[in-house]
Amino acid sequence: MKIELERIEKLAALKLDENERGSMLKDLEDIINYFENLKEVETDSIEPMVYGEKIELVLRDDIVEDSLHLTDLKRLRELFGDGFFRVRRIIGE
Amino acid sequence: MDITALSVSQIVSKIKTKELKAKDVVLTYLTNIDRLDSEIKAYLNVFHDYALKRAEEIDNNPNKKGLLLGVPVAVKDNISVKDFELTAGSKILKGYIAPFDATVIEKIKEEGAIIIGKTNLDEFAMGSSTENSAFFKTKNPVNTEYVPGGSSGGSAAAVKANETLIALGSDTGGSVRQPASFCGVVGLKPTYGRVSRYGLVAFGSSLDVIGPIGKSVEDVAITLSVISGFDLRDSTTAKVPVLNFETYLTGDIKGKKVGLIKEIQNFKIQPEVEEAFRKSLEIFEKNGAEIVEISMPHLKYALSVYYIVAPSEASANLARYDGVRYGFEGNADNLRDFYEDTRTKGFGSEVKRRILIGTFALSEGYYDQYYLKASKVRRIIFEEFKRAFEICDVILTPTSPTTAFRFGEKATPLEMYLSDVFTIPVNLAYLPAISVPFGVDSKGLPIGIQMIGKWFKEEELLNTAYVLQEEAKHV
Amino acid sequence: MFKPTIGLEIHIQLATKSKMFCSCSTEFGDPPNTHVCPVCLGLPGALPVINKEAIRYGVKLAHALNMKINLKSTFYRKNYFYPDLPKGYQITQYSLPLGFDGFLEIPMEGKIKKIRIERGHIEEDSGKSIHIGDITESEYSFIDFNRSGVPLMEIVTQPDFESGDEAYEFLTLLRSIVRYLGVSSGDMEKGALRCDVNVSVSKDENKGTKVEIKNLNSFRSVKRAIDFEVERQIKAIESGERIIRETRHFDEKEGTTKPMRVKEELNDYRYFPEPDLPPLELSEEFVLEVKNEIPELPNKKAVRYIETLGLQEDYARTIAYNKKYADYFEDIVNKVGHPKEVANFFLVNILGFLNKKGKDVDELTFGSNEFKELFSYLDSGLISTNIAKSVIEESIEKGISVKEIVESKGLVQITDENVIKEIVVKVLKNNPTPVSQYLSGKKQVFGFLVGQIMKELRGKGKPELVNKILNEELLKLEKGDEP
Repeated sequence: MKIELERIEKLAALKLDENERGSMLKDLEDIINYFENLKEVETDSIEPMVYGEKIELVLRDDIVEDSLHLTDLKRLRELFGDGFFRVRRIIGE
Repeated sequence: MDITALSVSQIVSKIKTKELKAKDVVLTYLTNIDRLDSEIKAYLNVFHDYALKRAEEIDNNPNKKGLLLGVPVAVKDNISVKDFELTAGSKILKGYIAPFDATVIEKIKEEGAIIIGKTNLDEFAMGSSTENSAFFKTKNPVNTEYVPGGSSGGSAAAVKANETLIALGSDTGGSVRQPASFCGVVGLKPTYGRVSRYGLVAFGSSLDVIGPIGKSVEDVAITLSVISGFDLRDSTTAKVPVLNFETYLTGDIKGKKVGLIKEIQNFKIQPEVEEAFRKSLEIFEKNGAEIVEISMPHLKYALSVYYIVAPSEASANLARYDGVRYGFEGNADNLRDFYEDTRTKGFGSEVKRRILIGTFALSEGYYDQYYLKASKVRRIIFEEFKRAFEICDVILTPTSPTTAFRFGEKATPLEMYLSDVFTIPVNLAYLPAISVPFGVDSKGLPIGIQMIGKWFKEEELLNTAYVLQEEAKHV
Repeated sequence: MFKPTIGLEIHIQLATKSKMFCSCSTEFGDPPNTHVCPVCLGLPGALPVINKEAIRYGVKLAHALNMKINLKSTFYRKNYFYPDLPKGYQITQYSLPLGFDGFLEIPMEGKIKKIRIERGHIEEDSGKSIHIGDITESEYSFIDFNRSGVPLMEIVTQPDFESGDEAYEFLTLLRSIVRYLGVSSGDMEKGALRCDVNVSVSKDENKGTKVEIKNLNSFRSVKRAIDFEVERQIKAIESGERIIRETRHFDEKEGTTKPMRVKEELNDYRYFPEPDLPPLELSEEFVLEVKNEIPELPNKKAVRYIETLGLQEDYARTIAYNKKYADYFEDIVNKVGHPKEVANFFLVNILGFLNKKGKDVDELTFGSNEFKELFSYLDSGLISTNIAKSVIEESIEKGISVKEIVESKGLVQITDENVIKEIVVKVLKNNPTPVSQYLSGKKQVFGFLVGQIMKELRGKGKPELVNKILNEELLKLEKGDEP
């Protein structure tokens, strides 16, 4: 199995340097080759499984509760203007 | 009085009768931390002042209530404790002060527990040795040349070194049981849905469970009673009644059927571990249980399934660490580069490896072949357990194929992954399981036996574990 | 002949008090980041919990758009990085949406056009990015997460539209429906209703290349953008160009579409089931209960107004599509009758007056009692329709009752035949020339004579009576009788 590592990096918002990329690629290929054994398993009529036993979705009522305060947010990050988070420009990347 | 020799129920009752002060309990453990932790390095953050203050509050409060009153609890640093730093063992979260309590933290606080500090872990709980912590390596208190296991290595080591009475860990593929096994303590992975994940830093959301680590099955049972229960904030918790688990530890397992997986012989197991495992089977027989052979031909695929499902979920769970709202910030003059710089510098290599595997397994053209396929095989493994539990009450395996290994011994990621080969299927099937120490190998390193119970039948599982614990005292 | 194929993707904000997956308020217009919590800010360890009301609203809307309901629907994660998306993924429905396979019929040029609806799924909104100055120049963007996690229902139509007008008509009806249901404010300016468009044109059965248009801020923009884009694509094809699959941006000022300047990101959303949310299972009873809450919808209402109340089509639709208008109108008609007249007074006089004053129907004190009085004057011929109109306006403006106005101003019509006859005779006597012209066959002067009579009566003579008596008197003169 060949992996287009750079494409995967882009999707994951990661950028490895060239040295790291070589060993990473090898690790990933080893691991993904290990997965090959799954091909032996017949799964055509099997439903995928994601959720556990006895778990019934419970919905919440539409009630407004207290949000975090700006003081809480300021402990996370410096805020700008009336309380905005700030990022490097989005457009024109 | 040797305070560290007291169990949870002894501490609680002595504090209630004022025979013992919570402050003395906390001081005892804090002193041990001060004395030992520069070597063991189980803690990322010790709550000295907070713990003493809480102890004083308990001592000054005439109303002495709570199942964990005055009991020091160490918390794996991927569980959110309000107003304290939460790192998940990662540089990317360095400096993040949690603005809320995890549900388990609310629950233990309500029962009078004293949180004594946050313990080290593999970054984002990804690892089996705690070597992947971004901060430092935790040593195995049994022999400091060996790893404590992981990812809850700090929690297991803290319990073993008497740096806390109990600890909370999280278990996605064995992260409570394997370090418990390596350090010679008891570690429980509850049924998925038994304990709220609200406030647990997500790794593999369909696999993650918070579980207690303690010196005894009794301590673990009490802690489980406290942290269990349906939680409206976690839509994957189950509305199953919470029992007072400690009262089920009768030691009576007559007529119980203990499952022995036939295919276990196909796995490479350290001979001393294998021997201990055989011996444990004999002990159950001696106590009136019946050994039944079960077949689980798909168990050998569990590792592949796990290393697709967990990284896939992780790749999304860890996307929130983008440097925008909290935690580590990279440096770049445009957004895309900022993301990449933040994440590439903020995450360690094992985390990046798993994010990349997961991203790949979900990506266009590969989803069916990897993520979907794995989710289907997961059901097959689940069904195999279901059939097995039609003929047995508990399934026995070694917790890990080997005892603790040396630092740096596992050269490749795959080698490391194989140390979780017996614990992983349990998470895939949402089952409860416990690791109980049972003897040591020739180097004196602890061996752990894993017992796997039926869904939401922790009381039976704990009772089985209790039998082994009591017998182990005579081995 | 080119045939345009157009589909719409509409995001409707569901009018819950709290967000989709957390208890933060959905209030619009508050200072930035005042409605955020661990869940909608994507803090480590936070988990989503579904808002039951959002599901109820979603089911309601799905019903109203004739969709089938999935009793078991699932949530997925849609993965991409964007600073207003705090978790790095959006929770949305994917393979099993709440509703699917619906339709909405819109009136087009006297006919009914059926627009098929592919699906309606529930998802969470993202935060909002704000740019200061020129977005390509500014160094920073600023993020407000108040909108992050607000519940949306995305309605995806089949590509059944052929023109901007059809899209406009569809959106108008859809907005009216969501307001009737109370599931959304439908306010485009507040972002509660957003619409993206897919346009392609082709000559044959083969489908053309789909172009997506974004940044549509009003229904009019949607219509203009579609019409422009259809034209653009036809011209391009005719001149031998190839249409590229892209996303274009509508330029409001120029009325044109332009390629988005952003470099196309790698689009691979890696959808997979949201492990934090087990499948949503709805009971038949719940679905039925919600269905029963649905009121008569505007499209049905309009048909009823036309067919049973005899309203003209545009009047029927204008009233029916606006719930406030319809409530007002129906209240009056139920108590007073006269649907056609009420519709006419309402649309022409009352609404015109309210618009002029910048007031809303809610503020009207002119209700069924006033109409009742008005019609009693009208029915007995005491006032004319023209007078009725001015009475309505004055009553609304001054808050005085109809009766008071009519009585105090002596607006009541003169219906006493003797009084009218007296004036008619007087006018005929004073206007010998026109009378003789009339008698010699110049019948047009009749109108002049009516005018003169009305003048004498200060405009209050009942027109029918004036006509009748004038006729009678002229007839007498023709026969040679002395008046």
